[in-house]
Amino acid sequence: MELMKLEIVTPMGVIYDDDVKQVTFPGAEGEFGVLPQHASLVSLLQTGLIEIEEADSTKVSVAIDSGYVKIDENKAVCLVEGAVALDSSDANIAKAIEKAQALVKSVENSNAAIATASKLSSMKKSI
Amino acid sequence: MANLKDIKRKISSVSNTQKTTRAMKLVSTAKLRRTEELAKQSRVYASKLTEMLSEISYQIQKSNVDGLSSKFFASNKEIKIIDLIFVTADKGLCGGFNVQTIKRVKQLIEEYKTQGIKIRLRGIGRKGIDYFRFNNVELLSTEVGLSSSPTHEKAKKFISKVVDDCLNGITDKIVLVHNGYVNMITQVIREDNLLPIDPEEVVENDQVSLSDLDMEPKDDDTLLEALVTKYIEYNMYYALIDSLAAEHSARMQAMDAATNNAREMVANLKVQYNKARQQAITTELIEIISGVESMK
Repeated sequence: MELMKLEIVTPMGVIYDDDVKQVTFPGAEGEFGVLPQHASLVSLLQTGLIEIEEADSTKVSVAIDSGYVKIDENKAVCLVEGAVALDSSDANIAKAIEKAQALVKSVENSNAAIATASKLSSMKKSI
Repeated sequence: MANLKDIKRKISSVSNTQKTTRAMKLVSTAKLRRTEELAKQSRVYASKLTEMLSEISYQIQKSNVDGLSSKFFASNKEIKIIDLIFVTADKGLCGGFNVQTIKRVKQLIEEYKTQGIKIRLRGIGRKGIDYFRFNNVELLSTEVGLSSSPTHEKAKKFISKVVDDCLNGITDKIVLVHNGYVNMITQVIREDNLLPIDPEEVVENDQVSLSDLDMEPKDDDTLLEALVTKYIEYNMYYALIDSLAAEHSARMQAMDAATNNAREMVANLKVQYNKARQQAITTELIEIISGVESMK
């Protein structure tokens, strides 16, 4: 399986930098998935979850408030304002989800923020 | 001959000063390390942002035959009014750090004046503001406390007013002057043109991919506007952090020099003290001996 490089950068530093199989971004005009060899694209991101499928098929989510992503054939660079990583293998997942909820709440009340909040609370229930 | 007590008092006063300057140096070293870390983290974001902006502007330039027509980019319009932002420290005792910035600002004012351009000064940092106030130079806006504890929110709030003025046509250009950090012992004056953005400058890096770029939302302006705003805000924030790191390094240096000078001074005073003490003993001895002689 082909891999692509994904970087997620916040003003506080790089929070994710690895090769991945697939990513789903919360674009300003709708969610979209990206596979390796995607055409070049720049998109505005809105509040939501970036869902990552890593090289070993584990799934990781990152909650973001707003940002941009630039994609070319083998690389995606994502610039976001605030981000919280939700790694399901992490023991502190509950705490991370709470943090993510706080982050989403801090954004203005948009439909996207509400949808993300409900997604997060269902995630919280499932653990 | 200075009297013994006076010298002793001087020695203790100088060594007290030495203690203070040494403590200040240590504090600055610790703060510098923290600020440096912060600067390092944000540098990645800044460089990615510039990269992204350059690619987009390159793409837009390519699709528009007559170059970039956006309001954010340089046009041939004549420049009449400039917003000049300078960043200095809120506190002194950091050697030539503030003076260098002030000097450069004065020089710029002179330069623009000869070109017949009007300047509006916006000051950040108490030291620079005090200087220009004292010299009766008009400041359009002043900001104290921003340079000693910069946050992204505060920087954003400050710069958004300036950018609005520029986009509404009140000003034609925004120049930012600050004293930036190079390493522990060097600072250098940096000047950035925040607006309008010079496309040549941004497109400099040649890693631009040549394939066509899709953009979402489709119209160029929404994306570009969001990105440029971010770019300017972040540049402002980065300048503040850079300036803070430079301030701490300058203060560290200044306090190191002061500590060394105090040590030298104490050594000199000790020599003086010992000489005076020896002289007093000699005089006393002579007095006793001559007293004994006269008794014979």
